[in-house]
Amino acid sequence: MIEGTLVDFVPFEDDFAIYLETWMNEEAWFRAHLWERREPHTEHDVKKYIERMEKDEHGALIGFQAKNGDPIGAVIFDHEWPRVRKAEARFFAGDSRYEGSDEVLDALLMLVRYCFETRNLHRLDAVALPFDEAKLDHLRRAGFVHEGTLRQHIRWDGDYVDMEMFGLLDSEWPGYTAKVAGLDLQPSGLEPKPRLEKKDEKKDGAG
Amino acid sequence: MLEGLLVDLVPYGKAFLDLDHRWMNHEASFWSSGGERHFMSQAMIAARHAQWAEERERAGGGAGVGFGVQTKDGKPLGYFGINWLSAHHRVAMLGAKIGEPQYWGGGYGTDALLLLLDYTFDWLDVRKAWLMTTSMNARVMRQMEKAGFRLEVRQRQSALADGVWYDWLAYGLLREEWPGRAALVEQLGLRERAAALESGTK
Amino acid sequence: MNLEGLLVDLVPLGERFAALEHRWENGEAAFWGDVGDRQFLSLAAVKRRQEERAARKDQGLQSGFGIQAKDGTPIGVFVVGDIKPHLRLAILGVQIGDPQYWGGGYGTDALLLVVDYAFEWLDLHRLWLVTMSLNARVMRQMQKVGFALEARQRRATLADGQWHDLLFYGLLREEWPGREVLVERLGLRAKG
Repeated sequence: MIEGTLVDFVPFEDDFAIYLETWMNEEAWFRAHLWERREPHTEHDVKKYIERMEKDEHGALIGFQAKNGDPIGAVIFDHEWPRVRKAEARFFAGDSRYEGSDEVLDALLMLVRYCFETRNLHRLDAVALPFDEAKLDHLRRAGFVHEGTLRQHIRWDGDYVDMEMFGLLDSEWPGYTAKVAGLDLQPSGLEPKPRLEKKDEKKDGAG
Repeated sequence: MLEGLLVDLVPYGKAFLDLDHRWMNHEASFWSSGGERHFMSQAMIAARHAQWAEERERAGGGAGVGFGVQTKDGKPLGYFGINWLSAHHRVAMLGAKIGEPQYWGGGYGTDALLLLLDYTFDWLDVRKAWLMTTSMNARVMRQMEKAGFRLEVRQRQSALADGVWYDWLAYGLLREEWPGRAALVEQLGLRERAAALESGTK
Repeated sequence: MNLEGLLVDLVPLGERFAALEHRWENGEAAFWGDVGDRQFLSLAAVKRRQEERAARKDQGLQSGFGIQAKDGTPIGVFVVGDIKPHLRLAILGVQIGDPQYWGGGYGTDALLLVVDYAFEWLDLHRLWLVTMSLNARVMRQMQKVGFALEARQRRATLADGQWHDLLFYGLLREEWPGREVLVERLGLRAKG
């Protein structure tokens, strides 16, 4: 566990991974994975995804939860290019109550810290939809620089939409502590959700 | 397969695979990879080819479409193709590597690019073609502009070449911006270029 | 992701459906979906088919949904299959496994959701579907939803000893007015 200001990072144990079965079908997931085809994800897909992330040395999937232990979402970095030490940063709030919150911003800052200060990356890429205000706001506040727009790059709900591209260099990162000091992060004060239990495998029919 | 004025696009067959060993260990790869330098044995190349074949099979609808580029009299020059195709977004990412330095410039790459663009838009019903190059590759940057691509993204300090940081640049071309190969051939004087080559002058 | 309709929701085709598919594949619903064929599929055989389906999905060649009633009861399966990316078309395959839910608008509600999804998200421009001339229910549905009867293969399938025609229906994106319009036109309403 790595402790942050408003959230803590945790590994994807079974009791956290079960949330992914819902989260991978939520809007926030798809907005964090623009390149993928929009389609439903089953338990099988979730399992395969976690296995793939675990095996991949050039990336990581990390859960984050509120200080009261309530699972909120995940941060990811992947598509690492070892030679130039760059990777793509992703983040999403599976629990949509936290969309746009400082908890998610803190998770992003902790991801940046992890990538620069532990994984020794030199650069992070990030992408967002032009109408994803919450994500754009988080990226800007974290210090990501807008580097361009891939025009009409994504099919989205009947339209062709742009993909906004961002980058952050290690030389532009003042360190987690300095960053947080300048941001005045405010907790959302949300009550924890009822805990999701691992399903009984024998059950079939309505869930 | 796809016949141009200076080059033809053909399957990336044995003649090309055999040359991969030279091309991968060579200056051409430095430019196309944005600064990478390889040391690949024949065995490593063979293993990589096998891996690509397997990935192509697994990828199904998302697989790219690769072509070998050869001169009009059949000399293999390199690779031009769609590295990655997203069916649901209808976007194709292009890639190229001309392995023989004497054929850099002179219109060979441009001829291949125009053939590939017509194919991508007309046969695969793609709406957007894009590709990435690095800011050290002035030749490709010029070619992109001449062909009508727009510079869309500059990823700062994302490529390292001989100790110097460069930017990866993304160029994009929408189908509605593409006037067709015939118009570009005219605009860029490719016919004259081909004629000059035929008559032995360059 | 879920697609929410008035009578049904389309959900991931996960474990809740796996065991039921065995029942449905060996039942009356499969007779209609397989245009007259009757099969005897073991649980293992059904599992293998599901794995093949998952592999095709990974390759981008098809997309599947579970169909459930509003109260969460799984009632069937919907597949957008044989996706041809460069031709931007796909075949639709539906199976309402539980005969209780035949008629009543469940299948139509699911169809409207999937057509919107295929056009809006997968950027396809054509959808097609095959049924047999014995299947009056589907033929009526095709007409009401706006699919065109494009081809009739005469005496091409055998069902319980009788020859029937195979009917090929197609729908183009430019002909599709959108789910909202169809819901209105067909008077689809949530059940009380």
